[in-house]
Amino acid sequence: MIPIEAVISLGLLLFAVGFVGVVVRKNLVVMLMSLELLLNGANIILAGLGRRLGSPRGSIFALFVVMMAVSEAAVGFALILAYVRRKKSYDVDALDDLKG
Amino acid sequence: MITLLVFALFAVLALVAAVLVVVQKNVMHSVLYLAFAVLATAGVFFTLGAEYLGAIQILVYAGGIVVLYIFVIVIVNLKEVVPERRPLLPTVFLVAVPVATGLEVAYLLLAKGFPAAGRAGEGLGFGTLAETLFRSYLLPFELASILLLAVLVGAVIIARKKLVHDPD
Repeated sequence: MIPIEAVISLGLLLFAVGFVGVVVRKNLVVMLMSLELLLNGANIILAGLGRRLGSPRGSIFALFVVMMAVSEAAVGFALILAYVRRKKSYDVDALDDLKG
Repeated sequence: MITLLVFALFAVLALVAAVLVVVQKNVMHSVLYLAFAVLATAGVFFTLGAEYLGAIQILVYAGGIVVLYIFVIVIVNLKEVVPERRPLLPTVFLVAVPVATGLEVAYLLLAKGFPAAGRAGEGLGFGTLAETLFRSYLLPFELASILLLAVLVGAVIIARKKLVHDPD
Protein backbone atom coordinates (compact mmCIF):
# COMPACT_ATOMS: atom_id res chain seq x y z
CA MET A 1 0.00 0.00 0.00
CA ILE A 2 1.46 3.34 -1.05
CA PRO A 3 0.96 6.11 1.53
CA ILE A 4 -0.93 9.08 0.07
CA GLU A 5 1.58 11.44 1.68
CA ALA A 6 4.38 10.04 -0.49
CA VAL A 7 2.27 10.41 -3.64
CA ILE A 8 1.37 14.02 -2.88
CA SER A 9 4.99 14.82 -1.99
CA LEU A 10 6.18 13.38 -5.31
CA GLY A 11 3.59 15.40 -7.21
CA LEU A 12 4.52 18.56 -5.33
CA LEU A 13 8.24 18.14 -5.97
CA LEU A 14 7.67 17.42 -9.66
CA PHE A 15 5.48 20.53 -9.80
CA ALA A 16 8.19 22.58 -8.09
CA VAL A 17 10.88 21.37 -10.51
CA GLY A 18 8.64 22.19 -13.48
CA PHE A 19 7.87 25.62 -12.03
CA VAL A 20 11.57 26.35 -11.58
CA GLY A 21 12.13 25.36 -15.22
CA VAL A 22 9.39 27.72 -16.43
CA VAL A 23 10.62 30.64 -14.34
CA VAL A 24 14.39 30.31 -14.65
CA ARG A 25 15.16 29.05 -18.15
CA LYS A 26 15.30 31.44 -21.10
CA ASN A 27 14.90 28.80 -23.81
CA LEU A 28 11.32 28.70 -25.13
CA VAL A 29 11.32 24.97 -25.84
CA VAL A 30 12.66 24.07 -22.41
CA MET A 31 10.03 26.33 -20.84
CA LEU A 32 7.26 24.42 -22.64
CA MET A 33 8.79 21.11 -21.55
CA SER A 34 8.83 22.29 -17.95
CA LEU A 35 5.13 23.09 -18.30
CA GLU A 36 4.54 19.44 -19.22
CA LEU A 37 6.42 18.36 -16.08
CA LEU A 38 4.27 20.69 -14.01
CA LEU A 39 1.06 19.16 -15.38
CA ASN A 40 2.48 15.69 -14.77
CA GLY A 41 2.97 16.53 -11.10
CA ALA A 42 -0.66 17.65 -10.83
CA ASN A 43 -1.77 14.42 -12.55
CA ILE A 44 0.11 12.26 -10.05
CA ILE A 45 -1.66 13.99 -7.15
CA LEU A 46 -5.05 13.57 -8.88
CA ALA A 47 -4.46 9.86 -9.51
CA GLY A 48 -3.30 9.29 -5.92
CA LEU A 49 -6.29 11.08 -4.40
CA GLY A 50 -8.71 9.27 -6.68
CA ARG A 51 -7.31 5.98 -5.52
CA ARG A 52 -7.46 6.98 -1.87
CA LEU A 53 -11.11 8.00 -2.19
CA GLY A 54 -11.92 4.84 -4.13
CA SER A 55 -13.36 6.87 -6.98
CA PRO A 56 -12.59 7.04 -10.71
CA ARG A 57 -13.04 10.80 -10.69
CA GLY A 58 -9.35 11.41 -10.01
CA SER A 59 -8.41 9.58 -13.20
CA ILE A 60 -11.13 11.43 -15.11
CA PHE A 61 -9.86 14.83 -14.02
CA ALA A 62 -6.31 13.77 -14.87
CA LEU A 63 -7.61 12.74 -18.30
CA PHE A 64 -8.95 16.25 -18.84
CA VAL A 65 -5.61 17.67 -17.69
CA VAL A 66 -3.88 15.51 -20.33
CA MET A 67 -6.23 16.90 -22.99
CA MET A 68 -5.34 20.43 -21.89
CA ALA A 69 -1.64 19.55 -21.99
CA VAL A 70 -1.95 18.29 -25.56
CA SER A 71 -3.77 21.44 -26.68
CA GLU A 72 -1.19 23.60 -24.95
CA ALA A 73 1.70 21.72 -26.57
CA ALA A 74 0.19 21.96 -30.06
CA VAL A 75 -0.62 25.68 -29.89
CA GLY A 76 2.64 26.39 -28.09
CA PHE A 77 4.62 24.77 -30.85
CA ALA A 78 2.78 26.65 -33.54
CA LEU A 79 3.66 29.85 -31.67
CA ILE A 80 7.30 28.77 -31.31
CA LEU A 81 7.48 28.08 -35.05
CA ALA A 82 6.07 31.51 -35.87
CA TYR A 83 8.40 33.11 -33.32
CA VAL A 84 11.52 31.36 -34.62
CA ARG A 85 10.63 32.39 -38.18
CA ARG A 86 10.54 36.02 -37.09
CA LYS A 87 13.45 36.15 -34.67
CA LYS A 88 15.66 33.20 -35.70
CA SER A 89 16.12 32.42 -32.02
CA TYR A 90 14.66 30.45 -29.09
CA ASP A 91 15.62 33.17 -26.67
CA VAL A 92 12.73 34.78 -24.77
CA ASP A 93 14.85 37.89 -24.25
CA ALA A 94 14.49 38.60 -27.98
CA LEU A 95 10.79 39.28 -27.30
CA ASP A 96 11.20 42.95 -26.45
CA ASP A 97 9.24 44.55 -29.30
CA LEU A 98 6.99 46.43 -26.88
CA LYS A 99 9.83 47.77 -24.78
CA GLY A 100 9.69 51.55 -24.67
CA MET B 1 5.58 -3.91 -0.10
CA ILE B 2 6.79 -4.70 -3.59
CA THR B 3 4.38 -2.07 -4.95
CA LEU B 4 5.91 0.48 -2.62
CA LEU B 5 9.41 -0.40 -3.83
CA VAL B 6 8.38 -0.09 -7.47
CA PHE B 7 6.65 3.20 -6.70
CA ALA B 8 9.79 4.53 -5.00
CA LEU B 9 11.94 3.45 -7.95
CA PHE B 10 9.72 5.21 -10.50
CA ALA B 11 9.36 8.25 -8.25
CA VAL B 12 13.12 8.69 -7.97
CA LEU B 13 13.54 8.14 -11.72
CA ALA B 14 10.86 10.72 -12.52
CA LEU B 15 12.32 13.32 -10.17
CA VAL B 16 15.91 12.87 -11.39
CA ALA B 17 14.82 12.99 -15.03
CA ALA B 18 12.74 16.11 -14.34
CA VAL B 19 15.71 17.88 -12.80
CA LEU B 20 17.86 16.86 -15.76
CA VAL B 21 15.25 18.26 -18.19
CA VAL B 22 15.55 21.64 -16.53
CA VAL B 23 19.35 21.78 -16.23
CA GLN B 24 20.39 20.52 -19.69
CA LYS B 25 22.01 23.03 -22.03
CA ASN B 26 21.21 21.11 -25.22
CA VAL B 27 17.50 21.07 -26.12
CA MET B 28 17.67 17.59 -27.66
CA HIS B 29 19.03 16.13 -24.42
CA SER B 30 16.21 17.86 -22.56
CA VAL B 31 13.66 16.19 -24.83
CA LEU B 32 15.17 12.75 -24.24
CA TYR B 33 15.09 13.27 -20.47
CA LEU B 34 11.51 14.49 -20.82
CA ALA B 35 10.60 11.18 -22.50
CA PHE B 36 12.30 9.40 -19.60
CA ALA B 37 10.41 11.46 -17.01
CA VAL B 38 7.10 10.86 -18.79
CA LEU B 39 7.62 7.10 -18.93
CA ALA B 40 8.62 7.03 -15.25
CA THR B 41 5.43 8.96 -14.46
CA ALA B 42 3.48 6.33 -16.39
CA GLY B 43 5.11 3.74 -14.12
CA VAL B 44 3.95 5.73 -11.09
CA PHE B 45 0.40 5.72 -12.49
CA PHE B 46 0.54 1.94 -12.92
CA THR B 47 1.64 1.43 -9.32
CA LEU B 48 -1.17 3.74 -8.20
CA GLY B 49 -3.69 1.48 -9.92
CA ALA B 50 -4.58 4.06 -12.57
CA GLU B 51 -3.85 1.77 -15.51
CA TYR B 52 -5.95 3.75 -17.95
CA LEU B 53 -4.10 6.93 -17.09
CA GLY B 54 -0.75 5.17 -17.46
CA ALA B 55 -1.68 3.87 -20.90
CA ILE B 56 -2.90 7.33 -21.94
CA GLN B 57 0.33 8.81 -20.59
CA ILE B 58 2.45 6.47 -22.72
CA LEU B 59 0.29 6.91 -25.84
CA VAL B 60 -0.28 10.66 -25.69
CA TYR B 61 2.86 11.96 -23.98
CA ALA B 62 5.59 9.56 -25.05
CA GLY B 63 4.01 8.80 -28.42
CA GLY B 64 2.61 12.22 -29.24
CA ILE B 65 4.00 15.18 -27.39
CA VAL B 66 7.63 14.05 -27.19
CA VAL B 67 7.63 13.18 -30.89
CA LEU B 68 6.12 16.61 -31.60
CA TYR B 69 8.95 18.24 -29.64
CA ILE B 70 11.56 16.26 -31.57
CA PHE B 71 9.89 17.14 -34.89
CA VAL B 72 9.83 20.84 -34.12
CA ILE B 73 13.47 20.86 -33.01
CA VAL B 74 14.50 18.98 -36.15
CA ILE B 75 12.35 21.15 -38.46
CA VAL B 76 13.61 24.41 -37.02
CA ASN B 77 17.15 22.98 -36.81
CA LEU B 78 18.36 25.88 -34.74
CA LYS B 79 21.50 24.76 -32.96
CA GLU B 80 21.36 27.65 -30.59
CA VAL B 81 22.42 27.48 -26.97
CA VAL B 82 20.45 30.22 -25.28
CA PRO B 83 22.66 31.96 -22.72
CA GLU B 84 21.26 32.17 -19.20
CA ARG B 85 22.19 35.76 -18.57
CA ARG B 86 20.32 36.26 -15.33
CA PRO B 87 22.51 37.31 -12.39
CA LEU B 88 23.27 34.70 -9.75
CA LEU B 89 21.21 36.09 -6.89
CA PRO B 90 17.83 36.23 -8.71
CA THR B 91 18.50 32.76 -10.10
CA VAL B 92 19.16 31.36 -6.64
CA PHE B 93 16.02 33.08 -5.37
CA LEU B 94 13.87 31.76 -8.23
CA VAL B 95 15.15 28.21 -7.72
CA ALA B 96 15.10 28.22 -3.93
CA VAL B 97 11.59 29.58 -3.32
CA PRO B 98 9.55 26.95 -5.25
CA VAL B 99 11.79 24.07 -4.18
CA ALA B 100 11.77 25.15 -0.53
CA THR B 101 8.00 25.58 -0.60
CA GLY B 102 7.52 22.13 -2.13
CA LEU B 103 9.89 20.54 0.37
CA GLU B 104 8.20 22.27 3.28
CA VAL B 105 4.71 21.13 2.30
CA ALA B 106 6.03 17.62 1.65
CA TYR B 107 7.72 17.60 5.06
CA LEU B 108 4.56 18.80 6.80
CA LEU B 109 2.52 16.14 4.99
CA LEU B 110 4.93 13.36 5.91
CA ALA B 111 5.18 14.57 9.51
CA LYS B 112 1.49 15.26 10.22
CA GLY B 113 -0.22 12.90 7.82
CA PHE B 114 -2.96 13.63 5.31
CA PRO B 115 -6.42 14.17 6.82
CA ALA B 116 -8.61 11.14 6.57
CA ALA B 117 -11.61 11.29 4.25
CA GLY B 118 -14.58 9.03 3.68
CA ARG B 119 -14.33 6.64 0.79
CA ALA B 120 -16.66 7.22 -2.12
CA GLY B 121 -16.74 3.46 -2.72
CA GLU B 122 -17.45 3.80 -6.42
CA GLY B 123 -14.79 1.30 -7.43
CA LEU B 124 -11.80 1.90 -9.64
CA GLY B 125 -12.29 -0.46 -12.57
CA PHE B 126 -12.45 0.44 -16.23
CA GLY B 127 -16.22 -0.06 -16.26
CA THR B 128 -16.80 2.39 -13.42
CA LEU B 129 -14.43 4.88 -15.01
CA ALA B 130 -16.19 4.74 -18.36
CA GLU B 131 -19.64 4.92 -16.78
CA THR B 132 -18.74 7.93 -14.63
CA LEU B 133 -17.01 9.66 -17.52
CA PHE B 134 -19.96 9.33 -19.88
CA ARG B 135 -22.67 9.83 -17.26
CA SER B 136 -21.44 12.66 -15.06
CA TYR B 137 -18.83 14.27 -17.30
CA LEU B 138 -20.39 14.03 -20.75
CA LEU B 139 -20.58 17.79 -21.29
CA PRO B 140 -16.91 18.47 -20.36
CA PHE B 141 -15.94 15.54 -22.56
CA GLU B 142 -17.71 17.02 -25.57
CA LEU B 143 -16.30 20.46 -24.77
CA ALA B 144 -12.84 18.91 -24.75
CA SER B 145 -13.43 17.51 -28.23
CA ILE B 146 -14.44 20.99 -29.42
CA LEU B 147 -11.30 22.39 -27.77
CA LEU B 148 -9.15 19.86 -29.63
CA LEU B 149 -10.79 20.78 -32.95
CA ALA B 150 -10.16 24.47 -32.27
CA VAL B 151 -6.54 23.67 -31.38
CA LEU B 152 -6.12 21.74 -34.63
CA VAL B 153 -7.38 24.66 -36.71
CA GLY B 154 -5.57 27.29 -34.66
CA ALA B 155 -2.22 25.54 -34.74
CA VAL B 156 -2.38 25.14 -38.52
CA ILE B 157 -3.25 28.80 -39.00
CA ILE B 158 -0.58 30.11 -36.60
CA ALA B 159 2.20 27.88 -37.94
CA ARG B 160 1.44 28.64 -41.60
CA LYS B 161 4.31 30.30 -43.43
CA LYS B 162 2.51 33.27 -44.92
CA LEU B 163 -0.96 34.62 -44.56
CA VAL B 164 -2.87 33.84 -47.72
CA HIS B 165 -4.08 37.05 -49.31
CA ASP B 166 -7.83 36.86 -49.43
CA PRO B 167 -9.36 39.18 -52.04
CA ASP B 168 -12.82 39.12 -50.40
